[in-house]
Amino acid sequence: MNTSIEVNGLTKYYGQLLAVDRVSFEVETGEIFGFLGPNGAGKTTTLRMLTNLTRPSEGSALILGMDTVRDSLRIKSVVGIVPEASNVFNELTTVSNLTFTGALYGMRRGQRAGRAAELTGLFDLEAHRNRKAAELSLGLKRRLTIAMSLMHRPSVVFLDEPTSGLDVESSRLIRDIVRDLHRNGVTVFITTHNMEEANQLCHRIAVIDHGNLIAVDTPERLKQAATEAQAVEVAFDRNLDPGEEEALSRLPCVSELRALGDKYRLIASDPPCVLEAIYPFMNERGLKPVSLNTFGPSLEDVFVKLTGKGKEQPANE
Amino acid sequence: MNDTAAEAGRLAVWVGLRKAWAVSSKDMRIYYFQPAVLIFGLVFPVAIFFAFMIGRDVDAVSLFPGLIALTLFFSTTTVAPFSVPWEKMNRTFERLLFAPLSMSEAVLGKVISAFLFGLVVSIFPLLIGIIFFGSSIEDWAALVLGLFLGSLCMATMGMLVSTVRADTPPKVMMVLNVVRLPLMFMSGIFIAIPTLPYYGRVIAWFSPVSYCTDLFYRGLGFRDYFGLLTSVLMLIAFTAAMFFASVLRMRAWNR
Repeated sequence: MNTSIEVNGLTKYYGQLLAVDRVSFEVETGEIFGFLGPNGAGKTTTLRMLTNLTRPSEGSALILGMDTVRDSLRIKSVVGIVPEASNVFNELTTVSNLTFTGALYGMRRGQRAGRAAELTGLFDLEAHRNRKAAELSLGLKRRLTIAMSLMHRPSVVFLDEPTSGLDVESSRLIRDIVRDLHRNGVTVFITTHNMEEANQLCHRIAVIDHGNLIAVDTPERLKQAATEAQAVEVAFDRNLDPGEEEALSRLPCVSELRALGDKYRLIASDPPCVLEAIYPFMNERGLKPVSLNTFGPSLEDVFVKLTGKGKEQPANE
Repeated sequence: MNDTAAEAGRLAVWVGLRKAWAVSSKDMRIYYFQPAVLIFGLVFPVAIFFAFMIGRDVDAVSLFPGLIALTLFFSTTTVAPFSVPWEKMNRTFERLLFAPLSMSEAVLGKVISAFLFGLVVSIFPLLIGIIFFGSSIEDWAALVLGLFLGSLCMATMGMLVSTVRADTPPKVMMVLNVVRLPLMFMSGIFIAIPTLPYYGRVIAWFSPVSYCTDLFYRGLGFRDYFGLLTSVLMLIAFTAAMFFASVLRMRAWNR
Protein backbone atom coordinates (compact mmCIF):
# COMPACT_ATOMS: atom_id res chain seq x y z
CA MET A 1 0.00 0.00 0.00
CA ASN A 2 1.26 3.52 -0.85
CA THR A 3 2.02 6.18 1.70
CA SER A 4 0.05 9.45 1.37
CA ILE A 5 1.53 11.30 4.32
CA GLU A 6 5.08 10.86 5.60
CA VAL A 7 6.15 12.90 8.61
CA ASN A 8 9.78 12.98 9.77
CA GLY A 9 10.80 14.65 13.01
CA LEU A 10 8.33 17.51 12.65
CA THR A 11 8.96 20.10 15.34
CA LYS A 12 7.42 23.48 16.09
CA TYR A 13 8.54 26.12 18.53
CA TYR A 14 6.46 29.21 19.32
CA GLY A 15 9.15 31.36 20.87
CA GLN A 16 10.47 29.24 23.73
CA LEU A 17 7.38 27.01 23.81
CA LEU A 18 7.86 23.60 22.22
CA ALA A 19 4.43 22.89 20.69
CA VAL A 20 5.33 19.78 18.67
CA ASP A 21 8.39 17.68 19.46
CA ARG A 22 9.98 15.58 16.69
CA VAL A 23 6.80 13.88 15.58
CA SER A 24 7.16 11.08 12.98
CA PHE A 25 4.49 8.84 11.45
CA GLU A 26 3.11 7.64 8.14
CA VAL A 27 -0.44 7.52 6.79
CA GLU A 28 -1.32 4.98 4.10
CA THR A 29 -3.32 5.92 1.02
CA GLY A 30 -7.05 5.56 1.63
CA GLU A 31 -6.64 5.28 5.38
CA ILE A 32 -8.68 7.19 7.96
CA PHE A 33 -6.02 8.31 10.41
CA GLY A 34 -6.94 9.85 13.74
CA PHE A 35 -4.79 12.30 15.63
CA LEU A 36 -6.01 12.08 19.19
CA GLY A 37 -5.11 14.27 22.11
CA PRO A 38 -6.42 16.89 24.52
CA ASN A 39 -6.59 20.59 23.63
CA GLY A 40 -3.13 22.10 23.48
CA ALA A 41 -1.50 18.73 22.76
CA GLY A 42 -0.18 19.87 19.38
CA LYS A 43 -2.81 18.36 17.07
CA THR A 44 -3.79 21.53 15.24
CA THR A 45 -0.20 22.76 15.04
CA THR A 46 0.79 19.47 13.40
CA LEU A 47 -2.12 19.78 10.97
CA ARG A 48 -1.16 23.37 10.14
CA MET A 49 2.43 22.29 9.47
CA LEU A 50 1.24 19.48 7.21
CA THR A 51 -0.82 21.96 5.19
CA ASN A 52 1.94 24.61 5.25
CA LEU A 53 -0.23 27.12 7.07
CA THR A 54 2.61 27.14 9.62
CA ARG A 55 6.27 26.49 8.85
CA PRO A 56 7.92 23.71 10.87
CA SER A 57 10.88 24.75 13.02
CA GLU A 58 12.57 21.44 12.26
CA GLY A 59 11.80 18.24 10.38
CA SER A 60 9.84 17.70 7.22
CA ALA A 61 6.68 16.16 5.84
CA LEU A 62 5.74 14.73 2.46
CA ILE A 63 2.18 14.63 1.12
CA LEU A 64 1.81 12.33 -1.89
CA GLY A 65 5.58 12.50 -2.22
CA MET A 66 5.70 16.32 -2.28
CA ASP A 67 7.46 18.40 0.35
CA THR A 68 4.98 20.49 2.35
CA VAL A 69 7.21 23.60 2.28
CA ARG A 70 8.81 23.44 -1.17
CA ASP A 71 5.76 22.15 -3.07
CA SER A 72 3.14 23.98 -1.06
CA LEU A 73 0.94 25.11 -3.96
CA ARG A 74 1.03 21.72 -5.70
CA ILE A 75 0.04 20.06 -2.45
CA LYS A 76 -2.80 22.50 -1.87
CA SER A 77 -4.29 21.62 -5.24
CA VAL A 78 -4.74 17.98 -4.13
CA VAL A 79 -5.63 18.33 -0.45
CA GLY A 80 -8.79 19.57 1.24
CA ILE A 81 -8.54 21.39 4.54
CA VAL A 82 -11.33 21.68 7.10
CA PRO A 83 -10.34 24.01 9.96
CA GLU A 84 -11.74 23.74 13.46
CA ALA A 85 -13.70 26.98 13.02
CA SER A 86 -16.25 26.99 10.22
CA ASN A 87 -14.75 29.81 8.17
CA VAL A 88 -17.37 30.27 5.49
CA PHE A 89 -18.12 33.68 3.97
CA ASN A 90 -21.23 34.71 5.88
CA GLU A 91 -22.13 37.29 3.24
CA LEU A 92 -22.29 34.70 0.43
CA THR A 93 -24.94 32.06 -0.18
CA THR A 94 -24.26 28.37 0.24
CA VAL A 95 -23.81 27.90 -3.50
CA SER A 96 -21.65 31.03 -3.87
CA ASN A 97 -19.34 29.79 -1.11
CA LEU A 98 -18.92 26.53 -3.00
CA THR A 99 -18.43 28.06 -6.44
CA PHE A 100 -16.00 30.67 -5.10
CA THR A 101 -13.94 27.86 -3.56
CA GLY A 102 -14.00 26.03 -6.89
CA ALA A 103 -12.77 29.18 -8.65
CA LEU A 104 -9.79 29.35 -6.28
CA TYR A 105 -8.83 25.87 -7.48
CA GLY A 106 -9.03 26.97 -11.12
CA MET A 107 -12.26 25.05 -11.87
CA ARG A 108 -14.29 26.28 -14.82
CA ARG A 109 -17.76 27.77 -14.39
CA GLY A 110 -19.63 24.66 -15.60
CA GLN A 111 -17.53 22.35 -13.43
CA ARG A 112 -18.12 24.57 -10.40
CA ALA A 113 -21.89 24.63 -10.83
CA GLY A 114 -22.07 20.87 -11.32
CA ARG A 115 -19.86 20.06 -8.35
CA ALA A 116 -21.70 22.56 -6.14
CA ALA A 117 -25.03 20.88 -6.99
CA GLU A 118 -23.52 17.48 -6.25
CA LEU A 119 -22.15 18.58 -2.87
CA THR A 120 -25.32 20.39 -1.74
CA GLY A 121 -27.10 17.07 -2.35
CA LEU A 122 -24.46 15.00 -0.58
CA PHE A 123 -24.45 17.29 2.45
CA ASP A 124 -28.24 17.70 2.54
CA LEU A 125 -27.95 21.44 1.88
CA GLU A 126 -30.36 21.72 -1.08
CA ALA A 127 -32.99 23.56 0.94
CA HIS A 128 -30.35 26.12 1.92
CA ARG A 129 -28.72 26.62 -1.50
CA ASN A 130 -29.60 30.28 -1.81
CA ARG A 131 -29.49 31.25 1.85
CA LYS A 132 -26.62 33.39 3.05
CA ALA A 133 -24.21 31.46 5.25
CA ALA A 134 -24.89 33.94 8.07
CA GLU A 135 -28.41 32.52 8.28
CA LEU A 136 -27.26 28.90 8.61
CA SER A 137 -27.12 26.99 11.89
CA LEU A 138 -23.81 25.82 13.34
CA GLY A 139 -24.35 22.31 11.99
CA LEU A 140 -25.23 23.53 8.49
CA LYS A 141 -22.20 25.84 8.45
CA ARG A 142 -20.01 22.91 9.43
CA ARG A 143 -21.41 20.84 6.60
CA LEU A 144 -20.80 23.72 4.19
CA THR A 145 -17.21 24.09 5.44
CA ILE A 146 -16.53 20.42 4.75
CA ALA A 147 -18.32 20.58 1.39
CA MET A 148 -16.09 23.54 0.39
CA SER A 149 -13.00 21.48 1.17
CA LEU A 150 -14.21 18.75 -1.20
CA MET A 151 -15.05 20.99 -4.19
CA HIS A 152 -11.88 20.07 -6.09
CA ARG A 153 -12.11 16.31 -5.32
CA PRO A 154 -8.97 16.16 -3.15
CA SER A 155 -6.91 12.99 -2.68
CA VAL A 156 -6.12 13.82 0.95
CA VAL A 157 -8.48 15.57 3.38
CA PHE A 158 -7.45 17.14 6.68
CA LEU A 159 -10.28 17.60 9.18
CA ASP A 160 -9.69 19.49 12.40
CA GLU A 161 -12.28 18.48 15.03
CA PRO A 162 -14.93 17.91 12.35
CA THR A 163 -17.89 17.22 14.63
CA SER A 164 -17.00 19.38 17.61
CA GLY A 165 -20.09 21.03 19.09
CA LEU A 166 -22.49 19.58 16.52
CA ASP A 167 -25.92 18.01 16.92
CA VAL A 168 -26.30 14.24 16.53
CA GLU A 169 -27.74 14.44 13.00
CA SER A 170 -24.92 16.59 11.61
CA SER A 171 -22.25 14.52 13.39
CA ARG A 172 -23.67 11.32 11.94
CA LEU A 173 -23.87 12.81 8.45
CA ILE A 174 -20.27 13.97 8.62
CA ARG A 175 -19.05 10.57 9.84
CA ASP A 176 -20.93 8.89 6.99
CA ILE A 177 -19.29 11.26 4.51
CA VAL A 178 -15.85 10.52 5.96
CA ARG A 179 -16.53 6.79 5.47
CA ASP A 180 -17.64 7.52 1.88
CA LEU A 181 -14.39 9.38 1.27
CA HIS A 182 -12.49 6.32 2.48
CA ARG A 183 -14.52 4.08 0.17
CA ASN A 184 -13.54 6.35 -2.72
CA GLY A 185 -9.84 5.97 -1.88
CA VAL A 186 -9.40 9.38 -0.25
CA THR A 187 -6.91 9.57 2.62
CA VAL A 188 -8.46 11.22 5.66
CA PHE A 189 -6.49 12.78 8.50
CA ILE A 190 -8.70 13.71 11.46
CA THR A 191 -7.64 15.54 14.58
CA THR A 192 -10.03 15.05 17.46
CA HIS A 193 -10.29 14.88 21.20
CA ASN A 194 -13.48 12.83 20.83
CA MET A 195 -12.34 9.30 21.60
CA GLU A 196 -15.57 7.64 20.56
CA GLU A 197 -15.40 9.36 17.20
CA ALA A 198 -11.81 8.21 16.70
CA ASN A 199 -12.81 4.71 17.74
CA GLN A 200 -15.73 4.57 15.30
CA LEU A 201 -14.01 6.14 12.30
CA CYS A 202 -10.29 5.58 12.30
CA HIS A 203 -8.25 2.68 11.01
CA ARG A 204 -5.28 3.87 13.00
CA ILE A 205 -4.85 6.42 15.73
CA ALA A 206 -1.87 8.48 16.85
CA VAL A 207 -2.01 9.69 20.43
CA ILE A 208 -0.27 13.00 21.07
CA ASP A 209 0.20 14.79 24.36
CA HIS A 210 2.32 17.84 25.18
CA GLY A 211 3.65 17.79 21.62
CA ASN A 212 4.96 14.22 21.92
CA LEU A 213 3.65 11.29 19.93
CA ILE A 214 2.92 8.59 22.49
CA ALA A 215 1.51 5.78 20.37
CA VAL A 216 0.40 4.94 16.83
CA ASP A 217 -1.72 1.86 16.26
CA THR A 218 -5.18 0.53 15.43
CA PRO A 219 -7.90 1.31 18.01
CA GLU A 220 -8.25 -2.32 19.02
CA ARG A 221 -4.51 -2.86 19.44
CA LEU A 222 -4.29 0.32 21.46
CA LYS A 223 -7.07 -0.96 23.70
CA GLN A 224 -5.06 -4.10 24.39
CA ALA A 225 -2.59 -1.87 26.15
CA ALA A 226 -5.23 -1.30 28.82
CA THR A 227 -6.64 -4.80 29.37
CA GLU A 228 -6.67 -4.22 33.12
CA ALA A 229 -9.39 -1.63 32.45
CA GLN A 230 -11.99 -4.19 31.28
CA ALA A 231 -15.22 -4.27 33.24
CA VAL A 232 -18.41 -6.11 34.13
CA GLU A 233 -21.41 -3.86 34.64
CA VAL A 234 -24.36 -5.18 36.60
CA ALA A 235 -27.70 -3.74 37.75
CA PHE A 236 -29.67 -5.60 40.44
CA ASP A 237 -33.42 -5.70 41.15
CA ARG A 238 -32.87 -3.88 44.46
CA ASN A 239 -30.35 -1.56 46.08
CA LEU A 240 -27.40 -3.17 47.87
CA ASP A 241 -26.69 -2.38 51.48
CA PRO A 242 -23.13 -1.28 52.44
CA GLY A 243 -22.17 -4.78 53.50
CA GLU A 244 -23.28 -6.24 50.19
CA GLU A 245 -21.38 -3.54 48.30
CA GLU A 246 -18.28 -4.43 50.32
CA ALA A 247 -18.74 -8.12 49.44
CA LEU A 248 -19.19 -7.25 45.77
CA SER A 249 -15.94 -5.31 45.73
CA ARG A 250 -14.15 -8.38 47.23
CA LEU A 251 -15.22 -10.79 44.49
CA PRO A 252 -12.30 -12.62 42.82
CA CYS A 253 -10.47 -10.68 40.06
CA VAL A 254 -12.23 -7.37 40.87
CA SER A 255 -9.70 -4.56 41.22
CA GLU A 256 -12.17 -1.71 41.71
CA LEU A 257 -15.90 -1.17 42.21
CA ARG A 258 -17.62 1.94 40.86
CA ALA A 259 -21.26 2.80 41.59
CA LEU A 260 -22.80 4.36 38.46
CA GLY A 261 -26.41 5.41 39.17
CA ASP A 262 -28.42 2.18 39.57
CA LYS A 263 -25.52 0.05 38.30
CA TYR A 264 -22.17 -1.19 39.52
CA ARG A 265 -19.07 -1.37 37.37
CA LEU A 266 -16.56 -4.00 38.45
CA ILE A 267 -13.18 -3.22 36.93
CA ALA A 268 -11.21 -6.37 36.18
CA SER A 269 -8.50 -7.66 33.88
CA ASP A 270 -10.39 -10.98 33.51
CA PRO A 271 -14.18 -10.45 33.11
CA PRO A 272 -15.05 -14.22 32.79
CA CYS A 273 -13.52 -14.75 36.24
CA VAL A 274 -15.86 -12.08 37.64
CA LEU A 275 -18.88 -13.62 35.87
CA GLU A 276 -18.13 -17.01 37.49
CA ALA A 277 -18.13 -15.40 40.92
CA ILE A 278 -21.07 -13.06 40.53
CA TYR A 279 -23.81 -15.71 40.14
CA PRO A 280 -23.06 -17.37 43.51
CA PHE A 281 -22.97 -13.86 45.01
CA MET A 282 -26.49 -13.14 43.69
CA ASN A 283 -27.90 -16.54 44.62
CA GLU A 284 -26.67 -16.27 48.23
CA ARG A 285 -28.39 -12.86 48.63
CA GLY A 286 -31.56 -13.49 46.61
CA LEU A 287 -30.57 -10.88 44.02
CA LYS A 288 -31.70 -10.94 40.41
CA PRO A 289 -29.79 -9.18 37.59
CA VAL A 290 -31.71 -6.50 35.68
CA SER A 291 -28.79 -6.20 33.27
CA LEU A 292 -25.35 -7.73 33.05
CA ASN A 293 -22.76 -6.61 30.48
CA THR A 294 -19.04 -6.93 29.92
CA PHE A 295 -16.94 -4.10 28.53
CA GLY A 296 -13.51 -4.04 26.92
CA PRO A 297 -11.20 -1.13 27.66
CA SER A 298 -12.25 2.12 25.98
CA LEU A 299 -9.92 4.46 24.11
CA GLU A 300 -10.38 6.76 27.06
CA ASP A 301 -8.84 4.09 29.29
CA VAL A 302 -5.99 3.76 26.83
CA PHE A 303 -5.50 7.50 26.80
CA VAL A 304 -5.43 7.61 30.61
CA LYS A 305 -2.92 4.79 30.71
CA LEU A 306 -0.68 6.31 28.03
CA THR A 307 -0.72 9.86 29.30
CA GLY A 308 -1.19 9.25 32.99
CA LYS A 309 -4.01 11.81 33.05
CA GLY A 310 -7.17 11.74 35.16
CA LYS A 311 -9.96 9.77 33.56
CA GLU A 312 -12.34 12.66 33.04
CA GLN A 313 -9.71 15.08 31.79
CA PRO A 314 -9.69 14.38 28.04
CA ALA A 315 -13.48 14.43 27.79
CA ASN A 316 -13.66 17.82 29.46
CA GLU A 317 -11.05 19.51 27.27
CA MET B 1 10.96 21.73 -25.04
CA ASN B 2 11.35 25.49 -24.60
CA ASP B 3 8.04 26.08 -26.39
CA THR B 4 6.37 23.62 -24.04
CA ALA B 5 7.84 25.37 -21.01
CA ALA B 6 6.77 28.77 -22.35
CA GLU B 7 3.26 27.44 -23.01
CA ALA B 8 3.11 26.00 -19.48
CA GLY B 9 4.30 29.34 -18.11
CA ARG B 10 1.61 31.26 -20.05
CA LEU B 11 -1.03 28.81 -18.85
CA ALA B 12 0.12 29.19 -15.24
CA VAL B 13 -0.10 32.99 -15.54
CA TRP B 14 -3.59 32.75 -17.05
CA VAL B 15 -4.78 30.37 -14.32
CA GLY B 16 -3.23 32.65 -11.70
CA LEU B 17 -5.07 35.66 -13.12
CA ARG B 18 -8.34 33.73 -13.09
CA LYS B 19 -7.82 32.88 -9.43
CA ALA B 20 -7.00 36.51 -8.62
CA TRP B 21 -10.16 37.53 -10.45
CA ALA B 22 -12.16 35.06 -8.32
CA VAL B 23 -10.90 36.88 -5.21
CA SER B 24 -11.76 40.26 -6.76
CA SER B 25 -15.28 39.32 -7.81
CA LYS B 26 -15.96 37.88 -4.37
CA ASP B 27 -14.72 41.12 -2.77
CA MET B 28 -16.93 43.18 -5.06
CA ARG B 29 -20.01 41.25 -4.01
CA ILE B 30 -19.19 41.39 -0.32
CA TYR B 31 -17.50 44.71 0.36
CA TYR B 32 -18.53 47.34 -2.19
CA PHE B 33 -21.74 48.13 -0.37
CA GLN B 34 -20.51 47.78 3.19
CA PRO B 35 -21.42 50.95 5.15
CA ALA B 36 -17.81 51.47 6.27
CA VAL B 37 -16.56 51.34 2.68
CA LEU B 38 -19.27 53.75 1.47
CA ILE B 39 -18.68 56.21 4.31
CA PHE B 40 -14.87 56.23 4.24
CA GLY B 41 -14.66 55.80 0.47
CA LEU B 42 -17.41 58.12 -0.81
CA VAL B 43 -18.96 60.33 1.85
CA PHE B 44 -15.62 61.26 3.41
CA PRO B 45 -13.94 62.75 0.29
CA VAL B 46 -17.09 64.60 -0.81
CA ALA B 47 -17.52 66.08 2.69
CA ILE B 48 -13.85 67.11 2.86
CA PHE B 49 -14.06 68.67 -0.58
CA PHE B 50 -17.12 70.76 0.22
CA ALA B 51 -15.65 71.73 3.59
CA PHE B 52 -12.68 73.11 1.66
CA MET B 53 -14.64 74.72 -1.18
CA ILE B 54 -17.64 76.35 0.51
CA GLY B 55 -17.05 79.96 1.49
CA ARG B 56 -13.90 80.31 -0.61
CA ASP B 57 -13.77 82.53 -3.63
CA VAL B 58 -12.40 79.95 -6.06
CA ASP B 59 -13.43 78.82 -9.51
CA ALA B 60 -15.21 75.47 -9.08
CA VAL B 61 -13.80 74.14 -12.35
CA SER B 62 -10.24 74.51 -11.08
CA LEU B 63 -11.10 72.30 -8.09
CA PHE B 64 -12.38 69.32 -10.07
CA PRO B 65 -8.96 67.71 -10.73
CA GLY B 66 -8.47 67.75 -6.96
CA LEU B 67 -11.96 66.36 -6.30
CA ILE B 68 -11.41 63.50 -8.75
CA ALA B 69 -8.02 62.73 -7.16
CA LEU B 70 -9.51 62.91 -3.65
CA THR B 71 -12.39 60.60 -4.57
CA LEU B 72 -10.04 58.17 -6.28
CA PHE B 73 -7.61 58.28 -3.35
CA PHE B 74 -10.22 57.69 -0.66
CA SER B 75 -12.34 55.14 -2.49
CA THR B 76 -9.49 52.87 -3.64
CA THR B 77 -7.61 52.98 -0.36
CA THR B 78 -10.70 52.00 1.64
CA VAL B 79 -11.54 48.58 0.18
CA ALA B 80 -8.52 46.45 1.19
CA PRO B 81 -8.08 48.00 4.67
CA PHE B 82 -11.65 46.95 5.36
CA SER B 83 -11.74 43.54 3.66
CA VAL B 84 -8.33 42.16 4.72
CA PRO B 85 -8.67 42.62 8.52
CA TRP B 86 -12.35 41.60 8.26
CA GLU B 87 -11.33 38.33 6.67
CA LYS B 88 -8.45 37.82 9.07
CA MET B 89 -10.82 38.46 11.99
CA ASN B 90 -13.39 35.96 10.66
CA ARG B 91 -10.64 33.58 9.55
CA THR B 92 -12.03 33.59 6.02
CA PHE B 93 -8.70 34.85 4.69
CA GLU B 94 -7.47 31.34 5.52
CA ARG B 95 -9.75 30.14 2.73
CA LEU B 96 -7.37 31.79 0.28
CA LEU B 97 -4.39 30.17 2.01
CA PHE B 98 -5.99 26.70 1.86
CA ALA B 99 -6.22 26.98 -1.93
CA PRO B 100 -3.38 26.67 -4.44
CA LEU B 101 -3.19 30.44 -4.63
CA SER B 102 0.13 32.25 -4.28
CA MET B 103 0.28 35.27 -1.99
CA SER B 104 0.95 37.43 -5.08
CA GLU B 105 -2.30 36.21 -6.63
CA ALA B 106 -4.23 36.81 -3.41
CA VAL B 107 -2.82 40.34 -3.11
CA LEU B 108 -3.49 41.00 -6.80
CA GLY B 109 -7.10 39.91 -6.32
CA LYS B 110 -7.51 42.34 -3.44
CA VAL B 111 -5.87 45.15 -5.43
CA ILE B 112 -8.05 44.59 -8.52
CA SER B 113 -11.30 44.88 -6.55
CA ALA B 114 -10.14 48.18 -4.99
CA PHE B 115 -8.83 49.40 -8.38
CA LEU B 116 -12.20 48.83 -10.08
CA PHE B 117 -14.09 50.41 -7.18
CA GLY B 118 -11.97 53.58 -7.38
CA LEU B 119 -12.13 53.68 -11.14
CA VAL B 120 -15.93 53.55 -11.27
CA VAL B 121 -16.45 55.92 -8.34
CA SER B 122 -14.05 58.59 -9.64
CA ILE B 123 -15.88 58.75 -12.99
CA PHE B 124 -18.80 60.44 -11.17
CA PRO B 125 -17.01 63.68 -10.13
CA LEU B 126 -15.49 63.78 -13.62
CA LEU B 127 -18.95 63.56 -15.23
CA ILE B 128 -20.38 66.10 -12.78
CA GLY B 129 -17.55 68.49 -13.61
CA ILE B 130 -18.08 68.09 -17.34
CA ILE B 131 -21.91 68.16 -17.36
CA PHE B 132 -22.70 70.72 -14.67
CA PHE B 133 -19.60 72.92 -14.32
CA GLY B 134 -18.16 73.05 -17.82
CA SER B 135 -14.90 71.17 -17.21
CA SER B 136 -13.32 69.92 -20.40
CA ILE B 137 -10.85 67.17 -21.17
CA GLU B 138 -7.79 68.69 -22.85
CA ASP B 139 -5.42 65.73 -22.63
CA TRP B 140 -7.18 62.39 -22.83
CA ALA B 141 -3.99 60.38 -22.39
CA ALA B 142 -3.09 62.14 -19.14
CA LEU B 143 -6.61 61.76 -17.78
CA VAL B 144 -6.96 58.08 -18.68
CA LEU B 145 -3.47 57.26 -17.42
CA GLY B 146 -4.22 59.19 -14.25
CA LEU B 147 -7.41 57.22 -13.70
CA PHE B 148 -5.92 53.80 -14.43
CA LEU B 149 -2.45 54.11 -12.94
CA GLY B 150 -3.66 56.30 -10.09
CA SER B 151 -6.38 53.84 -9.15
CA LEU B 152 -3.95 50.93 -9.34
CA CYS B 153 -1.36 52.76 -7.25
CA MET B 154 -3.86 53.88 -4.59
CA ALA B 155 -5.41 50.37 -4.45
CA THR B 156 -1.94 48.95 -3.80
CA MET B 157 -1.35 51.58 -1.13
CA GLY B 158 -4.60 50.48 0.56
CA MET B 159 -3.41 46.88 0.38
CA LEU B 160 -0.09 47.78 1.98
CA VAL B 161 -1.84 49.65 4.82
CA SER B 162 -4.11 46.63 5.37
CA THR B 163 -1.06 44.52 6.25
CA VAL B 164 -0.44 46.42 9.51
CA ARG B 165 -0.56 44.28 12.60
CA ALA B 166 -4.11 45.05 13.68
CA ASP B 167 -6.88 42.54 14.15
CA THR B 168 -10.04 44.51 13.36
CA PRO B 169 -11.15 46.81 10.51
CA PRO B 170 -11.58 49.90 12.76
CA LYS B 171 -7.95 49.66 13.93
CA VAL B 172 -6.70 49.39 10.35
CA MET B 173 -8.99 52.27 9.29
CA MET B 174 -7.43 54.38 12.02
CA VAL B 175 -3.94 53.66 10.66
CA LEU B 176 -5.24 54.32 7.15
CA ASN B 177 -6.48 57.77 8.07
CA VAL B 178 -3.20 58.59 9.80
CA VAL B 179 -1.57 57.89 6.43
CA ARG B 180 -4.24 59.46 4.22
CA LEU B 181 -4.81 62.81 5.88
CA PRO B 182 -1.20 64.11 5.62
CA LEU B 183 -0.93 62.75 2.06
CA MET B 184 -4.12 64.63 1.16
CA PHE B 185 -2.44 67.94 2.04
CA MET B 186 0.96 67.23 0.49
CA SER B 187 -0.27 65.99 -2.89
CA GLY B 188 -1.72 69.04 -4.58
CA ILE B 189 -5.33 68.01 -4.11
CA PHE B 190 -6.62 71.38 -2.88
CA ILE B 191 -3.89 73.58 -4.28
CA ALA B 192 -2.21 72.57 -7.55
CA ILE B 193 1.42 71.54 -7.08
CA PRO B 194 2.90 74.30 -9.30
CA THR B 195 1.30 76.91 -7.01
CA LEU B 196 2.54 75.31 -3.77
CA PRO B 197 5.42 76.95 -1.91
CA TYR B 198 8.89 75.50 -2.52
CA TYR B 199 8.89 73.13 0.47
CA GLY B 200 5.42 71.90 -0.57
CA ARG B 201 6.67 71.09 -4.06
CA VAL B 202 9.61 69.15 -2.58
CA ILE B 203 7.38 67.16 -0.23
CA ALA B 204 4.98 66.38 -3.09
CA TRP B 205 7.66 64.24 -4.76
CA PHE B 206 7.32 61.70 -1.91
CA SER B 207 3.59 61.16 -2.27
CA PRO B 208 2.26 58.82 -4.99
CA VAL B 209 -1.02 60.77 -4.87
CA SER B 210 0.83 63.84 -6.25
CA TYR B 211 1.51 62.19 -9.62
CA CYS B 212 -2.08 61.07 -9.98
CA THR B 213 -3.39 64.56 -9.11
CA ASP B 214 -0.89 66.15 -11.47
CA LEU B 215 -2.14 63.97 -14.34
CA PHE B 216 -5.73 65.07 -13.64
CA TYR B 217 -4.72 68.75 -13.70
CA ARG B 218 -3.00 68.16 -17.01
CA GLY B 219 -5.92 66.12 -18.36
CA LEU B 220 -8.44 68.85 -17.54
CA GLY B 221 -6.35 71.57 -19.13
CA PHE B 222 -4.46 72.99 -16.14
CA ARG B 223 -0.73 73.45 -15.72
CA ASP B 224 0.99 70.30 -14.43
CA TYR B 225 4.24 70.10 -12.50
CA PHE B 226 5.95 66.75 -13.04
CA GLY B 227 5.17 66.14 -16.71
CA LEU B 228 3.37 63.13 -18.17
CA LEU B 229 6.31 60.72 -18.37
CA THR B 230 7.59 61.38 -14.85
CA SER B 231 4.13 60.98 -13.35
CA VAL B 232 3.51 57.73 -15.22
CA LEU B 233 6.89 56.26 -14.27
CA MET B 234 6.59 57.33 -10.65
CA LEU B 235 3.10 55.81 -10.37
CA ILE B 236 4.36 52.54 -11.85
CA ALA B 237 7.37 52.54 -9.51
CA PHE B 238 5.25 53.26 -6.41
CA THR B 239 2.73 50.59 -7.46
CA ALA B 240 5.43 47.95 -7.97
CA ALA B 241 7.20 48.80 -4.70
CA MET B 242 4.01 48.79 -2.63
CA PHE B 243 2.75 45.58 -4.29
CA PHE B 244 5.92 43.66 -3.45
CA ALA B 245 5.99 45.12 0.05
CA SER B 246 2.38 43.97 0.52
CA VAL B 247 3.20 40.44 -0.67
CA LEU B 248 6.22 40.25 1.65
CA ARG B 249 4.24 41.51 4.63
CA MET B 250 1.37 39.11 3.98
CA ARG B 251 3.83 36.23 3.69
CA ALA B 252 5.40 37.25 6.99
CA TRP B 253 1.95 37.40 8.60
CA ASN B 254 1.13 33.94 7.27
CA ARG B 255 4.29 32.49 8.81
